[in-house]
Amino acid sequence: MDLYEIREERLGTISEEAEHQEISRESTTMEPYHVVSDKGGRTARDVSTFQRFSVDTNESLRFEPCEDMSPSPTGAEDGDDEDEVFRDGGKESETIRNRLQEKVAEMESFAGHLEEIFLTVEENFGRQEQHLEQHYNDVLQTLSQRYDERAAGLEEEKKGKLESLYGQLLACGRAMDASKELIETAQEIYRCQDKRLFLKTVMPTIKRIEEFAKEEIDLTLNTHLEFNTPLVDLSDVKTMMDSINIVPAPSAPVINPQMPNSATQTSLRVCWSLFSDDTVEYYELYYRPVLEDTPADSTCAAHESKVKVKETHCTVTDLLPNAQYELWVTATNTTGISPASEKALYMTVPCPPVIKQRECTSCPEAALIRWESGNTNPVDSYTVELSEMGTDGTQSTVTESVVAVPTCQCLVQLQPGRRYLISVRAVNIGGPSNRSQVITVSTTGTYFHLVEDTAHPCLSISEDGFTMFYGDEELPISAMALDDNTFARCVAVLGDLVPVRGKHYWEVEVDDETEFRIGVAFEDTERNSYLGANNTSWCMRHILTPTRHKYEFLHNGWSPDLRITVNPVRIGVALDYDRGTLSFFNVDVEQHLHTFQCNLRSYVHPCFSLDNPGALTVHNGIEAPEYAFI
Amino acid sequence: MSLTQVSSNKCAGGFQKVFEHESTELKCKMKFAVHLPPKAETGKCPVMYWLSGLTCTEQNFITKAGSQVPAAEHGIIIVAPDTSPRGCNIEGEDESWDFGTGAGFYVNATEDPWKTNYRMYSYVTEELPKLINANFPTDPDRMSISGHSMGGHGALICALKNPGKYKAVSAFAPICNPVQCPWGQKAFSGYLGSNRSTWEAYDATVLAAAYSGPQLDILIDQGRDDQFLSASQLLPDNLIAVCSEKKIPVVFRLQPGYDHSYFFIYSFMADHIKHHAKYLNA
Repeated sequence: MDLYEIREERLGTISEEAEHQEISRESTTMEPYHVVSDKGGRTARDVSTFQRFSVDTNESLRFEPCEDMSPSPTGAEDGDDEDEVFRDGGKESETIRNRLQEKVAEMESFAGHLEEIFLTVEENFGRQEQHLEQHYNDVLQTLSQRYDERAAGLEEEKKGKLESLYGQLLACGRAMDASKELIETAQEIYRCQDKRLFLKTVMPTIKRIEEFAKEEIDLTLNTHLEFNTPLVDLSDVKTMMDSINIVPAPSAPVINPQMPNSATQTSLRVCWSLFSDDTVEYYELYYRPVLEDTPADSTCAAHESKVKVKETHCTVTDLLPNAQYELWVTATNTTGISPASEKALYMTVPCPPVIKQRECTSCPEAALIRWESGNTNPVDSYTVELSEMGTDGTQSTVTESVVAVPTCQCLVQLQPGRRYLISVRAVNIGGPSNRSQVITVSTTGTYFHLVEDTAHPCLSISEDGFTMFYGDEELPISAMALDDNTFARCVAVLGDLVPVRGKHYWEVEVDDETEFRIGVAFEDTERNSYLGANNTSWCMRHILTPTRHKYEFLHNGWSPDLRITVNPVRIGVALDYDRGTLSFFNVDVEQHLHTFQCNLRSYVHPCFSLDNPGALTVHNGIEAPEYAFI
Repeated sequence: MSLTQVSSNKCAGGFQKVFEHESTELKCKMKFAVHLPPKAETGKCPVMYWLSGLTCTEQNFITKAGSQVPAAEHGIIIVAPDTSPRGCNIEGEDESWDFGTGAGFYVNATEDPWKTNYRMYSYVTEELPKLINANFPTDPDRMSISGHSMGGHGALICALKNPGKYKAVSAFAPICNPVQCPWGQKAFSGYLGSNRSTWEAYDATVLAAAYSGPQLDILIDQGRDDQFLSASQLLPDNLIAVCSEKKIPVVFRLQPGYDHSYFFIYSFMADHIKHHAKYLNA
């Protein structure tokens, strides 16, 4: 701990690099740490922060004594040789010893860790030294070059000046020679005895003297004595010198593509890396949603958000589910900011789907699970997970997954007489969503719900969805708003039977006085006709005549003539696709009533109708009695 | 109790056989037909007794009813006895087709000269089952009964008089209320005497009204164009009315266009075998 704090100051600038290495090491050496963590009873998260070695994370190396650790299960075997006498205290000492062992293991790992840090520091120091040396060499070289340049310049200037002075000197000499010759000439004339000659020659000489006197000889130095020394610009050298103490601005980090399982519904864990020579104080991660409905060059692109982090990873939160995000990152140190990394596309996982309980249907061999996406934009696929429930109510782990389901429904093959827990996940490129709520499917019998959309307006259905009522009161015409799927004439409703060509059985509970029709019908059976009156439905009909209870088994408007002495109030309906039969039973007396031979060209659905006010209850998920499929 | 095989023919994977034996109950040689399904070669099978109608022998059913294939499928042995004692040299036994030979009515006669031989009720409910169970791979606890016309009456009374003995019962065009119809009145007065109260012991409708015992499930098929239905010999409505009142489960199917013949029986035999199989194989 202390060691770290002492070093921290110095480590500041290189710590990021150390961490960078740390991360890459993490992936390869995670396993031994896990072992340690298990022994120490630490959570995995603690371990990972423990490993993480970065600036401003003093806490990460907190070495907590694990007071509440449970004794290691492995410790128990070591204490066998103890004497009888020590048995009592044995347990306690064992506990202490275990704890000590754990602590030793922990400290060993800590020491190992420190050693690694030491190596890293040493390595970084060496590198820094090299770096400095190179910098100094650069500066010296620059200075000597500058010196040479300046010296050469001065030499040049000196030469120019001397040449100019020499020229002036020569001109001066020539003027002196000229005046000397003039003086000599004048003196010679003056000494001349011959007046006539004197007079003859004096005038031109006087003119020349006058002319000469007129000539002004420039005796000033036309060359500055001072050397022109311009101000030496050493700013670049200064920068160089300064840059020895600071580090260069980092280069653009490299953002990683999205890793599996790194996304949640509202967060993304983003990782990137830096070039190993770079020193980075912090990163800035920018992200913005990629809106599919706006063109790529649109100016009204979504507002970008920014997070500042010290690590080379970041978990961005508060995102939209099932959305694509564009992310990029810059690195900054005291010197400056790096260019932005490439833009990476990450995707948050979808919201979990919502299972439509009322639209799930099953039979002993299979279950049809239907769900809502739960997401406004499309997902890639769905995964249906099922686990079998043990007889003791324990849940086994996921025993089967159906993956890459493209639509919001899935027919899952099951084993009869079991209980399954089924859930769904939505999947996109970012990964699978959380699990949807779990639906329990029991494969004891056939289970279905009524399709309320098909129900005649006069038919009301109980909250549990299995009892239907046909009330006395007349409905206003306005309430009779019918759509194509609604039974318009017959007060009927269809059930939603699982599309499996096997054996199905369900029961219907009726009142002795209720007039009803129960049976099966094709999904597209005429909504404007009575059940059994057409060739798309088969049904048992109960009619109350003034004298007796009459039962008909209707298909295409025809029924066999038959009498039943005991009025069935609980009717078993057995549908067998293989044999093409639909049988009816009086469940209470196990009596077979009638069997239709049906041409079941496509899937049929249970159908129910009430021909006079009354109620009818469907019983589902019942194991078919043996006699139902003889 | 020795059996003499009269014939044996491979049929529906098993064998259709006819045996003859000396009946102690009827004091004459009696023939009966037995169909053994393939399953009888390896294990015990339930038995369905078939009682034929007026004028029939054991032959009519086995040659015309088409019972063997469905019975083989469900692993049921079918035993079809003759309809009356034969060759007993009773005066007047061959005088009419609806009384005497071929018309035993499945009663135990109490009147002379019939009371010695005409004990068909005991024969089909006691002697024959014992004989069958002793000689064939049967499960004695699983037996059922069916019949046609007079045999339908026989099947119904056997079931109603012996609660629990027969696991299932069914009938084709049975004489449901013999006390009320000419056939029954003729036979009962001949075999049982003029005291009508003794007749009621063999009347399905009367017996049903007094039935108490395990749940029965009765399947009855009746041709709508049966001349004996319109002649009020069969009177199924009387039985249905009583069963409705007594909550005895009956499914009565009036089959349009069918008459009283074996063509009618043949048409619905499979349904009846299935009805019996449901209870015999439960």
